[in-house]
Amino acid sequence: MDIKPFTAEPIRVLAYDGTPVENVDRLGIGKDDWLKMYRWLVFARAVDDRGYILVRQGRAGFYAQIAGQEASQVGSALPLHKEDWMYPDHRSQGSMLVKGLSAAEWFGHVLGKMLDPTQGRLMPHGPGRNDLHIVPPSSTVGNKITEAVGTAMAQRIKKRKEVTITYLGDGATSEGDFHVGMNFAAVYQAPVIIFVQNNQYAISMRTEQQTHTKTIAEKAKAYGMDGYLVDGNDILAVYLVTKHCADKARAGGGPSLIEAYTYRYGPHSSADDDTRYRPKGELEMWRTQRDPVTRMRKFLETKGLWSEDQEQKLQADVKAQVAKAMEEAEKSPAPEPITVLDYAYEQLTPHLEWERRELAAELGV
Amino acid sequence: MAVKTVLDGVRDAIHDEMKRDDRVFIMGEDVGPRGNVFLITKGFLDEFGRDRVIDTPLAEASIVGVAVGAAMAGMRPIAEIQFADFIYPAYNQIVGEAAKIRYRTAGAQTCPLVIRTPYGGGVRGALSHSVSVEALFYHVPGLKICVPSTPRDAQGMLVSAIRDEDPVLFLEHKRTYRLIKGEVPDSEFTVPIGVADVARTGKDLSVITYGLMRHFAVEAAETLARDGIDAEVIDLRSVRPLDRATILDSVRKTRRALVVHEDQKFGGIGAEVCAIIAEEALFELDAPLRRVCGPDVPAMGYAKEYEEAFMPNPERIGAAMRELAAF
Repeated sequence: MDIKPFTAEPIRVLAYDGTPVENVDRLGIGKDDWLKMYRWLVFARAVDDRGYILVRQGRAGFYAQIAGQEASQVGSALPLHKEDWMYPDHRSQGSMLVKGLSAAEWFGHVLGKMLDPTQGRLMPHGPGRNDLHIVPPSSTVGNKITEAVGTAMAQRIKKRKEVTITYLGDGATSEGDFHVGMNFAAVYQAPVIIFVQNNQYAISMRTEQQTHTKTIAEKAKAYGMDGYLVDGNDILAVYLVTKHCADKARAGGGPSLIEAYTYRYGPHSSADDDTRYRPKGELEMWRTQRDPVTRMRKFLETKGLWSEDQEQKLQADVKAQVAKAMEEAEKSPAPEPITVLDYAYEQLTPHLEWERRELAAELGV
Repeated sequence: MAVKTVLDGVRDAIHDEMKRDDRVFIMGEDVGPRGNVFLITKGFLDEFGRDRVIDTPLAEASIVGVAVGAAMAGMRPIAEIQFADFIYPAYNQIVGEAAKIRYRTAGAQTCPLVIRTPYGGGVRGALSHSVSVEALFYHVPGLKICVPSTPRDAQGMLVSAIRDEDPVLFLEHKRTYRLIKGEVPDSEFTVPIGVADVARTGKDLSVITYGLMRHFAVEAAETLARDGIDAEVIDLRSVRPLDRATILDSVRKTRRALVVHEDQKFGGIGAEVCAIIAEEALFELDAPLRRVCGPDVPAMGYAKEYEEAFMPNPERIGAAMRELAAF
């Protein structure tokens, strides 16, 4: 399949109904890969659904669902190598799970337990994990682009082959850091992939309120970089485009911008009311006609690779895995209040030592 | 021991650390063939190559942002901001990112980064080449802030900063660059971050200061000594962490304290120093706390008269010391 930048229509392998529009036997990925992709889509959705329930149960303070964007996230994380670096944004738990974060850690993060790699410090936007080369996101969107470029530059200086991927939304492309990051990446040909999940909304603001360009992908042209527009709900297309850009970066071909055109089903976060800004029928249309999980399932069915029995078994397996992960997270202890002073610096400063004595006396520890 | 300028000390620290550790690299505007606007990195490009002497596009947010990402991935970047007055576009990267990395990952990720920048007045730099920025960053936990003022401290503390596991904002007073000369050890040495220097010992009052003002305070103290007033001068050297013990020990001894800095008084470093003394040693004082600092205006003006009216000088500092000693 010839993957070209700056196409007018999103790059697509599967039509909305799951019918292939490319010769899928010549993509370099086969049956086992397809099944693996589908399992990840189902797993990511199940974990996310369970996480959101914690808010409704009053056990979590905040949640940003990925529902609708699973193919963008799973499809862009699967081609990465173990040592590659990932900078997720505040709605990227699907990518983090594929990179190696456990569902139990994710739930621990949402509950603010010690199992959370941040040990209850970050709000549930994503915890990161250094050994997996995942950097936690910040709510101040856009600024991760320059950092990801720096991590990519470090690999280049060290003469290593790892690539770095950074995720952002359509809204973040309005930030100054998007411009300076894109520019730096291109000038120094950093091995980085700037992956925009264009879910069409930055909280309530539509993409046309963020930019006057027809696509986000075309912005890459101004920096001398390739920009790819891909159907973000087509996991095969997302996988192939991301792999293409990763291979290119690994071979010294420099950075790429990918715009995955997708749609979020949930509100921006548990604190948002999306009924105030979505046109009637829009959400329903995406859910029923363009769902990324259903599309992949239909594809597998047309290839004779998936049956109702298999579906039921997968759903039961995933349900059990999610329940087990939740149990593990619930058992994890809460952070001790005295540790609020830890990790500001490698060692406590004289001022922090003084504060620690005061807090210890107050807490009686 | 060799006699060097502050500029030499800064250059030698960067050079020697880049030679010692290949994770160390420098990036900033005009650090390549130009050799930095003060010629600090002259010859570095030839010696260390393009991968470790990186001329960056003109965008401070990316200078610091890229350095943060490289630091997290195991490098030891030195990010240069050409003048402290230009640091504001990088504020989010320093305050929102670098300073929080260790805390937000419960220690799993770190940001061993040095952000170097020339600051301060006395060079007719006016509103955009004279500012002091330490107080803007002073409120930020996770960050260390160095303000050395002698060649020895500049070199030794910069080596410490490069080897530090936490992000360090390294402020170099540009007026001291060529003005201040002093002896520096020939062999490898470091000066710790967070330890104040007793620049002059004395028993009658304590002057707590840093940066260019250290030299003005010592000059004033020597003048006063002829009249029998024996002042102690404490050079903080780093304002975060702050050396509480040295401040309090000195004030308990002399029972009088004057804080001097070029930066504005309102909300400046001196406010915290005075608060520490008031919290810990109020009843050991024989006189009210005093501060001699810059005025509460946006910056020093270009006209010589404005610059002189803004900056404390040895005479102004000396007069306050005299009043305090006589109280």
